[in-house]
Amino acid sequence: MKKVILQGFSIALLFFATWFILAQVDWVDLLNIRKVSAKTEERLGTVFYNWFRKSDLERSDRALSKAMDSIINQICTSNNIERGPIKVHVLENPQVNGFALPDGHLVIYTGLINSVENEAELVGVVCHEIAHIQLNHVMNKLTKEIGLSVLLSMTTGNSNSTVITKAAKVLSSSAFDRELEKAADLEGVRYMIKANVNPEPFANFLSKLGNDKEEMPEYVTWVSTHPQSKERAEYVEKYGKNKVKHGRQILSAQTWNSVRALLKQR
Amino acid sequence: MNHVLDQNALPTEHEAEAASSSYLMSLIAIIAGLPLPIVNLIATLIFYLANRKSTYFVRWHCTQALLSQCSLFLINSYGFWWSMSILFREPTITSNYIAYMLAAFIFNLTEFIVTVYTAIQTRKGIHVEWWFYGGLTKLLCKPYL
Repeated sequence: MKKVILQGFSIALLFFATWFILAQVDWVDLLNIRKVSAKTEERLGTVFYNWFRKSDLERSDRALSKAMDSIINQICTSNNIERGPIKVHVLENPQVNGFALPDGHLVIYTGLINSVENEAELVGVVCHEIAHIQLNHVMNKLTKEIGLSVLLSMTTGNSNSTVITKAAKVLSSSAFDRELEKAADLEGVRYMIKANVNPEPFANFLSKLGNDKEEMPEYVTWVSTHPQSKERAEYVEKYGKNKVKHGRQILSAQTWNSVRALLKQR
Repeated sequence: MNHVLDQNALPTEHEAEAASSSYLMSLIAIIAGLPLPIVNLIATLIFYLANRKSTYFVRWHCTQALLSQCSLFLINSYGFWWSMSILFREPTITSNYIAYMLAAFIFNLTEFIVTVYTAIQTRKGIHVEWWFYGGLTKLLCKPYL
């Protein structure tokens, strides 16, 4: 009996030892898996971005691009985030919405910029979406909701438009898991604090849109798809309270006003 | 593995065939049931249940075949659900995952080779006892019902 138990343990030990020894090899690098998955994500990013650009015009005004670049640059520099992979796009759409797509595409609707009262509110939303990108929530969510095989078929052009539409809607108009949302909120607030931007206006923005939701539900997509706005506003406020004493403005007041005026012209 | 014959007499042609089939069942089930890890376990279990009142030689080998599938079932199940979580939840393939799948493959291959060898030997009426599984079978399978 003792011999059999000992032999059983030996077999289990042999298996775990084999696993441990094999795990010392960097298979991901050896088999170029990182490169392949990066390529897949890049293709998906292009597929989705092209889908959104078909229905909404991309704003390419120089002043607007420069302003958005300044905001993203400041957030990335302050938080040691690689700026290159983040591609920001402002699309002409009245919905109060902003979302992240695969391969670092960050889409902001003009409706969102128009609805914020100050720059810090916009920075809050941008930081939240950058956090989703940095924490790899986008691909995780897509895989969970759509399935890896369907996603792979999209990259090879074997997928029909219904599937792409469904996947695009998953990205733009439905929230991540509550846990992921909270993680992105808190990570976003950390980015704001490091960039020396006061997070309190972002908490106010959440709270305000949570209230406005009842009055204009069709436009306030970002909040209606991100549930528990009040609860989020509370923990964002709590987490960011008194962390930034003298918050700064990334854009000058003149640039900010000119961006707002530019969007209101259309 | 050792080849000690602990029965009193050599198995008959029918017994050798039935004992050999218990190993073949798991091999056929692997081919039919991939990638589901439970199919080969179910196949050997059914064969064991069908032969549990047979002669000692047949019962003994059915039990050994069934026990050997149990450990593979654990290894393969873990690998299967890990793969499922990559496909449907978090699409991150890590070196740790690849190492596990390779280790599982090595164990499956070893088991496959040993199973084929044992199936051939038992068909000839030669008794084959596996390391660990043989000892465990001895503890569980008694000469008289």
